[in-house]
Amino acid sequence: MMDENSEFTSIHMDAIREIGNIGTGNAATALSRLIGRAVDMDVPVAELVPIYEVTAHYGSPETRVCAVLIRSEELFSCSLMFLIDEEKADILADLVIPMDISGMPDEEKFQMRNSALAEQGNIILGTFLNALSQITGWTLPTTTPAVARDMLGSIMDVVASTFGVMGDSAMLVKTTLHIKGLESDLGGTVIMIPDPGTLETLLAKLGVL
Amino acid sequence: MSQPIHVGMADLVVSKHPATLITLGLGSCIGLVIFDQISKTAGMVHIMLPDSREAKNIPKPGKFADTAVPLLLEELAKLGVNRSQLRAKMAGGAQMFSLPGKTDSAIFGVGSRNIEATTKMLASAGIRLVASDTGGSKGRSVEFSTETMKFIVKTLGSGTKEL
Repeated sequence: MMDENSEFTSIHMDAIREIGNIGTGNAATALSRLIGRAVDMDVPVAELVPIYEVTAHYGSPETRVCAVLIRSEELFSCSLMFLIDEEKADILADLVIPMDISGMPDEEKFQMRNSALAEQGNIILGTFLNALSQITGWTLPTTTPAVARDMLGSIMDVVASTFGVMGDSAMLVKTTLHIKGLESDLGGTVIMIPDPGTLETLLAKLGVL
Repeated sequence: MSQPIHVGMADLVVSKHPATLITLGLGSCIGLVIFDQISKTAGMVHIMLPDSREAKNIPKPGKFADTAVPLLLEELAKLGVNRSQLRAKMAGGAQMFSLPGKTDSAIFGVGSRNIEATTKMLASAGIRLVASDTGGSKGRSVEFSTETMKFIVKTLGSGTKEL
């Protein structure tokens, strides 16, 4: 067990980034199949960010976002989050809803889009975890996805408070998926949030601790 | 209105009148204000977690309910408040995601544990909690002005409450 998050070295960061690389590469492919459009991804970055700054790292606290979260809870207990601006989330949702829902009552439209987003988030994050599972040899069963739409700051409390239990920095594996063929790019971000103390388990398994 | 002071995560700010203290985008975190209505002095803290005992070090005492409340009282005392006049208002402690059967887990229950720990700390310090808007599943932004002593709580979708 490490004493301090500050003891993360560039070797640890590289190992984590590599997981991000494979994970999101697969996630981009899966999402692309689902929506029938090209999906590109940025090269993942792994960085240490003070927990007090995780919100500012992604935007302003009151930005409206949509987040899908799944958990893996056995050998590696961890939350994974797919984060996207709320207006972009709705455009993404509509790509997989096979009918025109513009005339529907708001509440029904909302429910329908949320379940589409839950499914898309589940595929993106599940694929990410599959990559992690292949690398480690661990079986990583996941929960069903939970969707939240709210202010960025409120959503990022999950990240800050999870990392904050033991230390003051968050190791963020951040990568952005870009969906092509629309008027504007639909960028969404995957964030890995290991439970307190479990990042060390992963690094040990990868042979870098 | 005075220029608002932003109270970031784990930050703690005290001020004499006139002051407007705000915290944006609280999820499981707590925005706690303790104020003295007579001298119009107030302090706000943005609490992230209930308990400092698991932490290896505590660079920001505002982070934990058990260290934030005593420090806030100490800082207010430095401004010369009369302790018996102090009252508290708080908001936050939401659970942003709900997964079946996960409400009590360390990760998902943090909001309700924050509420519980903060309430307990206030009670043991003898500070009366006069208003609160806590729990639920929606984020909040809060604002407190020493002019009105009102705690304004904004939630996406369901508007603004004045406590």
